[in-house]
Amino acid sequence: MNIQDNYQKNKKNIFFSENKDIQTHREKLINIFQNDRFDKKNNESLKNINLKNFIDFKYKYLIPEETSVINNNQENSYSIVCVNGQCSSFKDDKIEITKILDEDYNDFSKNDTIENNDHFVNLNSLFLNSGFKIVIKKNNKIKIKISNIITDDGLTIFQKNNYICEEGSSLNLIEEYENKNNSTSNILNVIKLEKNSQLNHFLIQDNSPNHNLIITSHSSCKKDSTYTQKVYNFSEGYVRNFHYSELIETNSEVDLQGIFFLKDNNTSNNKTFVKHLAEDCKSNQVYKGILNDRSRATYFSNTHVDQVAQKTEGYQLSKGILLSDNASYFSKPELKIYADDVKCSHGSTIGPIDENAIFYLRSRGMSKIAATKILISSFINEELSSIDNEQMSEIIQKKLVRYLSKVK
Amino acid sequence: MNSETLNTLDTYSKNKYKYGFVTEIDDEKPKKGLNEDTIKFISQKKNEPEWMLDWRLKAYSKWKKMKEPKWSNLSFPEIDYQDIYYYSAPKGFDKKPKDLSEVDPKLIETYNKLGIPLEEQKVLAGVAVDVVFDSVSVATTYKGELEKLGIIFCSIGEAIQKHPDLIKKYLGSVIPPGDHSFSALNSAVFTDGSFVYIPEGVKCPMELSTYFRINAENTGQFERTLIIADKGSYVSYLEGCTAPKRDDNQLHAANVELIALEDAEIKYSTVQNWYPGNEDGKGGIYNFVTKRGLCAGKNSKISWTQVETGSAITWKYPSCILKGDNSIGEFYSVAITNNFQQADTGTKMTHIGKNTKSKIISKGISLGKSQNTYRGEVSFLRKADKARNYTQCDSLLVGNQCGAHTVPYIDSKNNTAVIEHEASTSKINEDQLYYCRQRGLSHEEAVSLIVNGFCKQVLQELPMEFAVEAQKLVSISLEGSVG
Repeated sequence: MNIQDNYQKNKKNIFFSENKDIQTHREKLINIFQNDRFDKKNNESLKNINLKNFIDFKYKYLIPEETSVINNNQENSYSIVCVNGQCSSFKDDKIEITKILDEDYNDFSKNDTIENNDHFVNLNSLFLNSGFKIVIKKNNKIKIKISNIITDDGLTIFQKNNYICEEGSSLNLIEEYENKNNSTSNILNVIKLEKNSQLNHFLIQDNSPNHNLIITSHSSCKKDSTYTQKVYNFSEGYVRNFHYSELIETNSEVDLQGIFFLKDNNTSNNKTFVKHLAEDCKSNQVYKGILNDRSRATYFSNTHVDQVAQKTEGYQLSKGILLSDNASYFSKPELKIYADDVKCSHGSTIGPIDENAIFYLRSRGMSKIAATKILISSFINEELSSIDNEQMSEIIQKKLVRYLSKVK
Repeated sequence: MNSETLNTLDTYSKNKYKYGFVTEIDDEKPKKGLNEDTIKFISQKKNEPEWMLDWRLKAYSKWKKMKEPKWSNLSFPEIDYQDIYYYSAPKGFDKKPKDLSEVDPKLIETYNKLGIPLEEQKVLAGVAVDVVFDSVSVATTYKGELEKLGIIFCSIGEAIQKHPDLIKKYLGSVIPPGDHSFSALNSAVFTDGSFVYIPEGVKCPMELSTYFRINAENTGQFERTLIIADKGSYVSYLEGCTAPKRDDNQLHAANVELIALEDAEIKYSTVQNWYPGNEDGKGGIYNFVTKRGLCAGKNSKISWTQVETGSAITWKYPSCILKGDNSIGEFYSVAITNNFQQADTGTKMTHIGKNTKSKIISKGISLGKSQNTYRGEVSFLRKADKARNYTQCDSLLVGNQCGAHTVPYIDSKNNTAVIEHEASTSKINEDQLYYCRQRGLSHEEAVSLIVNGFCKQVLQELPMEFAVEAQKLVSISLEGSVG
């Protein structure tokens, strides 16, 4: 079934299909799909993707029967169970959680940082069927943990979330994606950081082989705000991590980190895009990948420095380790710089594990596998040791051990 | 000057008049536009055999179906292919300036700064001189020596006549006519270029250059160069020259193919300084060049060195296909853009064979309102065991209205291959500038010194006589935009 028929047929199950403005926007998107036809050759963000799963899908969505639970278990700490992308409303003096509204959709569709040719974001807008909005109120320090659950096989979740951190607030957000059923999630997080606010965003992804996860996020940072994102991808199914950031006012900072562990026939596509639009901002992008068996990965990164963004510091680093003959890694770290007083750099390496290092360890009596495992752990140690949340670091260590046990 | 040279000069100058060179051209003004007739006209003009015409026509039919590649970071008005002359014969004497006093004084000033001898200046500025003393004498003595070694060095037109076997075998083998629209265009309408064949085991004793080829007066706008280095041979080839060159043709689309067989080495150096347009970005050459080398045999090596300072638009990616085991590809580049110039340049290293190595050093300097992009692709295919790549691309920004961009594509499909890439972008270090000025250099001199140091890694790869001129060229390119 083509996308247009699919949309027309399921229109009544899709959010905001009565709203005129949104309707016209969606018609525009359908036009884009029809003209472009997912042209793999000219759109490198579609590299390595099995498009059939995403164009020819069967739309299915169930409104969850039991509403999600929001626990305020400790002071300033909340845990949310998000079922099929939906989350019940909640309000206290620190946070407010609501369903997403028409105006949030409009707000987003006007944003042009996310390129028009990012088809998955467009699909998300077209088939939108869930999502929520979280507002952290002024000067509060909050911890939130969100577990994402999908109830049935064959569901297609198209979810848009809005996070707003008001002035002076600080949010520690942990998101877990651990789905074992055969389904597809296409999630878009729109994050707004007001003056002097802070968001530490952890994403742990550990899905079964037949779950497809597509995550896109967009953050915009105002004066003195900081956005930190750490993505740990242990999934056995397809994962797409695309993260866009805009530094719109002075002295803001963004730090995007990602580590992915791939094996078997798995594929992962990653992208980070940072746009410097104001003076004195800092950005950092670090992505590391370990690829085993027949896995494939791509990493695109882009630092864009606008003409006004003097005194910018922008750094990128991408590293890949190929453990098998059949793994492949494609990376494209881009710099686009229009201002002169900047310090920008990028580095990228792809290769096997250093033979000399293995030799060193083996000459001290270690087996080859043990040596390999030690070197893999040390490859990502810098990132893991920087996690200041004990609980998180324990979870990740466990998953790492599980991944390493399959390395031969 | 010995008597032999004088004789050569005599016959040469007589010949030109004997065949009524000037009037002949006036009679046959080529038509504008690109169609099969134009191609037949070119082929006929060059007295080409039937198979060559077929080859051109095939390329033309491919070109008709193609669109220009759009991925580059360049903006320019659409090219009207029907508004271009495709066969530009040498200009008649009466249209040329009579002597240097009629030439743009700015140009002469630059020549003097580069230290170019007066006679050469005349040639470069297109002054109507009968014979150029220096280059002819050089060319004749060189030619004899090359012939003794069995080296073929002639224009591509001559090679099509005299060495059809080599041309049939190798022309289009590295850059297929249907590769992209500019290569198809060039294959259909190329008019000039060099052909070099180095026989087995021969080390070419001197640097070959278009400059020394007698008929190089009009290195055409659609140049086609083919260099073949047979087993165990070596050749170093120079293209272009440091002096700024005016040309009436706006569109340039050259194709250069290099083939290195077993144990052979080719070193190809370019200094490109076409007219970049004036300070407001008006005019200037559009330079769309396809350069590709094939390391076909084991242990072969191809090395590209380029200094790009001219042209309004530069679209150029000298690349290496490392097919033979243990083969080596190198790319050294300095690209300087000023005023409204745009450059999108880089390289492509495709590792196919085992133990292949490549090295990329790229230095980009942007000034004024220019845009300078490095775009490079390094790919390791499945069988490229133990392949190695090192890439370094640095950009320097002078002024706050220019842009420097880096777009590397890195693809590895082999787990024993190692790839390293690093890039940095910054402005000129204030401390270095302060140090230089403290020691009495003017601001401009200091910047020039620092930029020269920044480019040193690449400039030292150039052949000696080129390197000195290139250094001066770098300084000249910076003039007027610093301070």
